[in-house]
Amino acid sequence: MTGLLDLYSEKGSFLHRLDPRVKLLAVLLLSVLAFMLSELLPLVLLLAFILLLLALSKSSFGKAFFALKFVVRLMVLITLLWPLFDRSGTPVLFSIGPLDITEPAIWRGVTSAVRIGCFATVWYILMFTTQQRDLVRALVKLGLRFDYGLALSISFRFIPTFGLTIESIKDAQRARALELDKGSFIRRSKNYVSVLVPAVVSALRTADTLALTLQSRAYGAFRDRTYLREIRMRPSDYVALAVAVLALLLPALAKYVYGVPL
Amino acid sequence: MIPLPEHDGNHQVLFLRNVKFTYESGVDALKGVTLEVDSGEYIAVVGGNGSGKTTLAKHMNGLLRPSVGQVVVSGGDSSTMTPAQMARVVGYAFQNPDHQLFCGTVQEEVSFGPGNMGLPADEVKRRADGAIEVMGLSEVRGKPPLSLPLGLRRRVSIASVIAMDPKVFVFDEPTTGLDANEADELMAIIRKLNGEGKAVVLITHEMKLVAEHANRVVVMAEGRIVLDSDTRGAFSDIELLRRSKLLPPPVTQLAHKLSQMGVSRDILTPQELVFELTRGDDD
Repeated sequence: MTGLLDLYSEKGSFLHRLDPRVKLLAVLLLSVLAFMLSELLPLVLLLAFILLLLALSKSSFGKAFFALKFVVRLMVLITLLWPLFDRSGTPVLFSIGPLDITEPAIWRGVTSAVRIGCFATVWYILMFTTQQRDLVRALVKLGLRFDYGLALSISFRFIPTFGLTIESIKDAQRARALELDKGSFIRRSKNYVSVLVPAVVSALRTADTLALTLQSRAYGAFRDRTYLREIRMRPSDYVALAVAVLALLLPALAKYVYGVPL
Repeated sequence: MIPLPEHDGNHQVLFLRNVKFTYESGVDALKGVTLEVDSGEYIAVVGGNGSGKTTLAKHMNGLLRPSVGQVVVSGGDSSTMTPAQMARVVGYAFQNPDHQLFCGTVQEEVSFGPGNMGLPADEVKRRADGAIEVMGLSEVRGKPPLSLPLGLRRRVSIASVIAMDPKVFVFDEPTTGLDANEADELMAIIRKLNGEGKAVVLITHEMKLVAEHANRVVVMAEGRIVLDSDTRGAFSDIELLRRSKLLPPPVTQLAHKLSQMGVSRDILTPQELVFELTRGDDD
């Protein structure tokens, strides 16, 4: 359970060592690129490049498989559903009742699927190679208020904990002969009250304790704070940044200035 | 036909046969555990963190299903029973009462379990009243359980298990966070339940509780039962306990140190040690 929520795994690839700000920016640029490209071939090339990055990130096979399973399902779904809703263009290949399946619509479906595939995979790579606290640190360095950053990282931190608490509550109520998934919809919703109330109460108790803990460690004594680990750009980070910027800039120039159909 | 005599009037209520369990994460939490629980027994399950105690306990009421092996409850195979059905036989009091309390009043909270069992309303009320009485909660029966102090919250959660009238009670670290008085009161109630013929399975770290209350000790380490004996026997093998990351109570440790002077190694309580030291050398 925690394995799926915390996607990060400790590995030593160059993507792990990259400055989190550069990674965040690169992922944003590649996402924009995926939505800028509208032709199938460049999108397939982009997907190939992103998959290469995934391979280079040395992500554990289990996690990569889990992520790709989700992405591939999404891609298949888009490919299948797109022609059903997009009936423009000719030639019409075949009709099912009132539905006309056209050839251009099928290609548009495939193109969108590849685009979403690029988009999702690139964010997965970010999560695979960056610790949540580094991501938050990057956001704070980029100007996010520190206390918002802390709130964000605390919520990330407590997602798995909260999941375990809910499992434990469900077990406790099952041990009191509660059949959670039995009966009508209303019956089942009522059953879940016995899970929801303890869950909310323990979340509130946790929040209370956490607030005290933070205060007892002098949280809020100053508006800003110092950091044990400063993040600094190294030459390799600048190279990566330049590559990411060019990866968007060159195709954008080609497409919008020189009119290359991309 | 003459019925077969049952020794001591006890009979098997729970039987785990060669139970193995592997968590999704790949951890082998139980590596083949066989355990028989008879009615009227008071068993302490002890072991270091991660030894498999809680995983074992969760097999007793069907919250976990064995990957390999079998759990027999009241003579029947439990593989087709739901946790709700098993809860009629095996009651499980969780460590953290806040993981189960949710009702507006103590009365409702204690009635929740028997109500889920589909009993008629007057029977639910009779059982709830009985459990509230036993746990000394009469004065707070109309109060919201979540606003009570921890000692009382723990008692409400145990009352809600007693109201289900199971044959076996599993208590997971019941004295955590209680002061000495509260803990003593709770242990006295558990002893009383045991005296009424209920089997008690106590999961704990506290060897003092084990020495004072249990008749049988099951020591777990790395997913296996490494020792299953009466309490005296368990405390005489101090090396094995140490390997299982456990320490006997101070009085037993002292008795071990004094064993060269002829003090018996299986002392469990200070009273016994005093008796042992003052009985004189008349033999």
